[in-house]
Amino acid sequence: MSDDATLEAFRLADSFLPVGTYTVSYGLEQFVADDRVTDADDLEALLETYLRRQVGPAELVALRAAHAAASEDDIDAICAADRRLAAVTLAAEFRESAQQSGDRLLSLQRELRDDDLLERYAESVAADDAPGNYAVVLGVATGLAGIDVRQACLLCCHGFVTGLLGAAQRLLSLGHTDAQRILDDLRPVMAEAADDSAGRSIDDMTPFAPLVDVLAADHERAERRLFAS
Amino acid sequence: MATDAPEARAERDGEDEPQARAERDAEDPADDATDTDAPHPSFEAYAAESPPQAAVGAPGKDGVLELRFAPTSDGTKLVHDYATVPFHVSGTLGHDPHPAAETVFLQSPTGGIAQGDRHDVTIAVEDDAVAHVSTQSSTKVQSMNANYAAADTTLSVGPGGHLDYVPEPTILHADSRYYQDLTLDLDAGATAVLADVVVPGRLARGERFEFERYLSRVRAEGPDGLLFEDATHLTPADGDPTAPGVLGEFTVYGTLFVVAPDSDAAALSDALHETVTDADARAGATALPNGAGVAVRALADRAETVQSTLHAAWDDARRDLLDAPAPSGRKY
Repeated sequence: MSDDATLEAFRLADSFLPVGTYTVSYGLEQFVADDRVTDADDLEALLETYLRRQVGPAELVALRAAHAAASEDDIDAICAADRRLAAVTLAAEFRESAQQSGDRLLSLQRELRDDDLLERYAESVAADDAPGNYAVVLGVATGLAGIDVRQACLLCCHGFVTGLLGAAQRLLSLGHTDAQRILDDLRPVMAEAADDSAGRSIDDMTPFAPLVDVLAADHERAERRLFAS
Repeated sequence: MATDAPEARAERDGEDEPQARAERDAEDPADDATDTDAPHPSFEAYAAESPPQAAVGAPGKDGVLELRFAPTSDGTKLVHDYATVPFHVSGTLGHDPHPAAETVFLQSPTGGIAQGDRHDVTIAVEDDAVAHVSTQSSTKVQSMNANYAAADTTLSVGPGGHLDYVPEPTILHADSRYYQDLTLDLDAGATAVLADVVVPGRLARGERFEFERYLSRVRAEGPDGLLFEDATHLTPADGDPTAPGVLGEFTVYGTLFVVAPDSDAAALSDALHETVTDADARAGATALPNGAGVAVRALADRAETVQSTLHAAWDDARRDLLDAPAPSGRKY
């Protein structure tokens, strides 16, 4: 990869990226409220489930399709992957969070980059032709920046895990060293999630975490909550 | 049909016993089924033979079911039915609480689904008809040592029609491999309720998560294209189904889809959530993508608990959509 592509990858992977990561917990808040996650070990096990059952078989499949479509300037394929990801994400809160972060990232990229494909994609989202999921926007952004698709998948996993670790630090008494240890321990799982998504078409997205869905449904109706999901 | 009896499997599996292996190696390496469990020496030659099995998709293994419901001045009628083994339809039942609804319970004369089975189900509900289709008892997916079983189900509902497709649970026996694909096509103003409950083994005998592979896909399409898609893909040997966030401490898992694209999904979702949080399973409701309706997921230790929780949600949804309660579950 070029220096530009590498630096773009660092920028997109940074928790400093203003896409509202601090507002989402993807159900983690409810797992803590339910006493299902009480320490670093519980948290690591749950994050492993997210990577194996949600990110790998769904988000990364959409990201790969968007990445490939961006290099071929194929707006229809981007929108198709985007719609498919929304159609397989059954928890309403997760769709909302993914679309809010996606909207922020798309606006940010359009401020920084003058690119016709980004503009056309934004028009499709505005016209309700595509939902604008974060993983798809990230696929387009990394594809346009010349970031390798595997690096883009790992970047997405890293961003997802650091986001939830940040949420966990506000929900649990989780030290900085524990957070870094979890991030380190989950490296092989992130690599497996990237492997799992390779070779899947957008017709083969199979996220499966029913207990996460049930707790997300509770979270939708929770009276006191810090996070939007 | 179940043509591969457990005893035959046990005999073939017997080849791995040290004594059997030693005998086989000493005599003829190609004779791979030397048996030590024969009741009498004169039966040993028979025991070494694999029982012949009907080929993949052969008659008796290629069950076809077609049902078509149409509205008449006297309520909904079953106007077309065609069933080949292992499906059997012995007419309709008239006790649905909805006055215009028609009910069919599918029956099976076999012990369950066997390796090599390929089933094809098509159910059509015409404009303004109301139909309820279920099965008489659980679908048992038998143990397998070759090939797999698959069922392809296509449901369609015409404008203003309603279908309740609420089969009894699917039980996955040890070493089974099962693929089921369900597609729902809704016309404008049509609604449907779909249920899918999976039991990961014969729980009463302590069998759980011993099946090899289970993939179940549900896909719903409306007049404007894909509404939502859900997949359950479990391979217990490759990934622990009881991991946190997957099934957790629970065993039985079920989903009820209330597909009603013209309804107020947010309000219905809240109402169904309240209903299922009062029920016995760990359950929750959420609004489906593309304004398609509501999904209810339920987890428990027993099939009955998941079923009664989903039934409570079904009852609520049916009152909301049809102004009539859900059927009681009477099968005769």
